[in-house]
Amino acid sequence: MTKYAVVGGLLLVLAWGWTSVFSWFDASALCRVHIDVELLEGDRASVKEAISVVRREDPVAYRDLCRWVDRIQEERECMAGDPQADPRFRGADPALRRARDAAGCYMRGSRVIVLRRARDGENPATLLRERAEAITRSAGYARAFWTGVSVSPSSLK
Amino acid sequence: MTRAPWWALAAVVVVAVLATRYLVWLDPGNRCVITIRPSLVGYDNRIVKLALESLRHGSPEDYRQVCVHVGTINPNPACGGFGGGCFWHGDGQKGRATIDVSTEHGLIWTTAIVVHETCHARQFHEGRPPGFDLEHECYNEDDRIMRALVQFE
Repeated sequence: MTKYAVVGGLLLVLAWGWTSVFSWFDASALCRVHIDVELLEGDRASVKEAISVVRREDPVAYRDLCRWVDRIQEERECMAGDPQADPRFRGADPALRRARDAAGCYMRGSRVIVLRRARDGENPATLLRERAEAITRSAGYARAFWTGVSVSPSSLK
Repeated sequence: MTRAPWWALAAVVVVAVLATRYLVWLDPGNRCVITIRPSLVGYDNRIVKLALESLRHGSPEDYRQVCVHVGTINPNPACGGFGGGCFWHGDGQKGRATIDVSTEHGLIWTTAIVVHETCHARQFHEGRPPGFDLEHECYNEDDRIMRALVQFE
């Protein structure tokens, strides 16, 4: 019996370690958000730091994040259109550039938030703040999509 | 039956279930079954499934088009390289087609490529010949889906 308890305990520790490394895991809030980053360029720790800011400063947004988002992906940028599309169709739309510069975005129909990867020379403190705001905003979008109730996301204090 | 064959049978069942889970998109509610080829790079099958899931909820009509025109998705880098997709014209594509969708640039771009290549599959099934002019229609399709689904401000 003791042998099984030890093996079980070890498995539990392994599972907890695995979850903690690859996800945001907050047992007290029953919250797990998987974090995908590039193998070489990605920075999972800074994503966790941004979530930590949201948890500290905006409990409502944090609850939305835990409830409606199950994955955060760090990508090169958010894309809100195809630059190869016919200009007559696309028009001179500055939205593409704004999306590329945005710290993060939400894709409707998913439970995924995309965060833009840090660029060379970008101030880490500014990026952290922008990411926290993007997570707050995107969690609100996710809640609005899945509940059908559009409420403007609360802002960070 | 002794205990060993039962374990072997259980192992076969587990492997079969995991393989099906990895290699097949199964949506009985919408009568949609799509095979996803094994990926050589990372977790790309998962991104394809996330893209299909996003389309299913975010744009049901685009999802229906995928289910009608596409039978197999190849998530490995193909003629479009690591960041693009391809649709090959050929007799083998007359039924539900195979499309190449690389997943290098994440969920948004993968979803856009699925819609773009589905557009080519639809063009092919409508009997339209390959040609550069038809690209515009599909670029506009992937542009449209990104505008419809991505929220950033």
